[in-house]
Amino acid sequence: MLVTLDPRDDRPLYLQIVDQVRRALLVGTLRAGEPLPSVRELAAELVVNPRTVSQAYRELEGEGVICVRRGQGTFVAPTIHPERRQRRALVRGVAERALTDAGRNGLGVEELVAMIRKVAREGRGSAGTGRVRSAEEEGAA
Amino acid sequence: MIGTDPPDDHAIATHALCKRYGREPALDRVDLRVPEGEVYVLLGVNGAGKSTLFRMLMNLERPDSGRAEVFGRDTRRDGPMVRAQVGYVPERQDAPHRSMTCGRLLQHVATFYPAWDDAYAAHLVRSLEIPTGKRIGELSKGETRRLQLVLALAHRPALLLLDEPTDGLDPVIRRRALALLAEHLADAPTTVLISTHHIHEIESLAGYVGILREGRLVAQAPRDELQRTVRSYQMEVPDGWEIPAELQVSRRSRSSAGRLARCTLVGEEREVIRRLGVTGARVRQVSALTLEEAALAYLPGDPS
Repeated sequence: MLVTLDPRDDRPLYLQIVDQVRRALLVGTLRAGEPLPSVRELAAELVVNPRTVSQAYRELEGEGVICVRRGQGTFVAPTIHPERRQRRALVRGVAERALTDAGRNGLGVEELVAMIRKVAREGRGSAGTGRVRSAEEEGAA
Repeated sequence: MIGTDPPDDHAIATHALCKRYGREPALDRVDLRVPEGEVYVLLGVNGAGKSTLFRMLMNLERPDSGRAEVFGRDTRRDGPMVRAQVGYVPERQDAPHRSMTCGRLLQHVATFYPAWDDAYAAHLVRSLEIPTGKRIGELSKGETRRLQLVLALAHRPALLLLDEPTDGLDPVIRRRALALLAEHLADAPTTVLISTHHIHEIESLAGYVGILREGRLVAQAPRDELQRTVRSYQMEVPDGWEIPAELQVSRRSRSSAGRLARCTLVGEEREVIRRLGVTGARVRQVSALTLEEAALAYLPGDPS
């Protein structure tokens, strides 16, 4: 699993980790039942306080996305359906970021939504087709 | 100054700590609060007072006034008891025992600490590539730093005081040292006070940030708060417009081109925009900053 933190992202680090795990589930780099790195491993890899990773894992556990099996480690929940709740959570995150950015630039919601539709119609990639991977790339661009 | 006292117990608390060298104040009424279990990054240019503060916590220097507590113990009265709980990497490199080899020094120091972990020390020696056969006096700057890190970590102290711990390390070893520190924190609850003038290296580890400027602690806040409340604003301003004083991070924080101005301002974004509106400024764009950029806004000579 690849987690990267963006120093320009001003959300708390643990939320960035939560988001990236959700994203990994959606794009399929992480699947139901698979193991996650331990708190210690991920903390060392990202050079973050292990508390930050624990906080992210607690949040994901609370949402039923991952489960901790004592003595065995942390795993993606075996029955996870990323296509539903995770997708909603991810879309919500993208929408919130877009709205914040729009608000800072003095743009209204309707204006933003209309422009997103227009840009999608003009064929910027396949953002309008609903394929997760492409939507992700659009989001990152 | 942003930030309030966190409700947690403090591993370190200083109370109006003052120190002068001649007429120059090295520390000016510093109230440092390091919550237990946190990684607290202390920032400041060279000469801002960071090392003086560390030496005072280690009781290697006496304050002119004020006092410091480590785990509730006065650092002057209970100096030895405090030091037993601390792993210290000093900024200055003049280590004693110059003719001793690194391996011999490690054995020697181990005897002072009941909690010294031989297996862990060996792991650190391997990971940080300590030349155990080399004499202390012949070590390079980077080698000395690495050895100091092993000495500070191997007895698993409750508090780590790391004064510029990555200074003189090459990028690969630096990254490895920071990863080792993250693992160290996972294995045992530890509070860390770490000073640096390269915050980008350790910003992801930081839970708290304190900024020393000319001996004064000008900011002290959780990292998320600092990053949330210091942002760059681009706006259209009327003629003769001045930045409202209460929003200024530091004096030289404005650049302007005609009626457009860009400032780094402090405060919750909504409130800042409201106050700017009152002064006739129209905010065009707000950008989030990296933790490093937010912190730099408090330091002298910030160009933004």
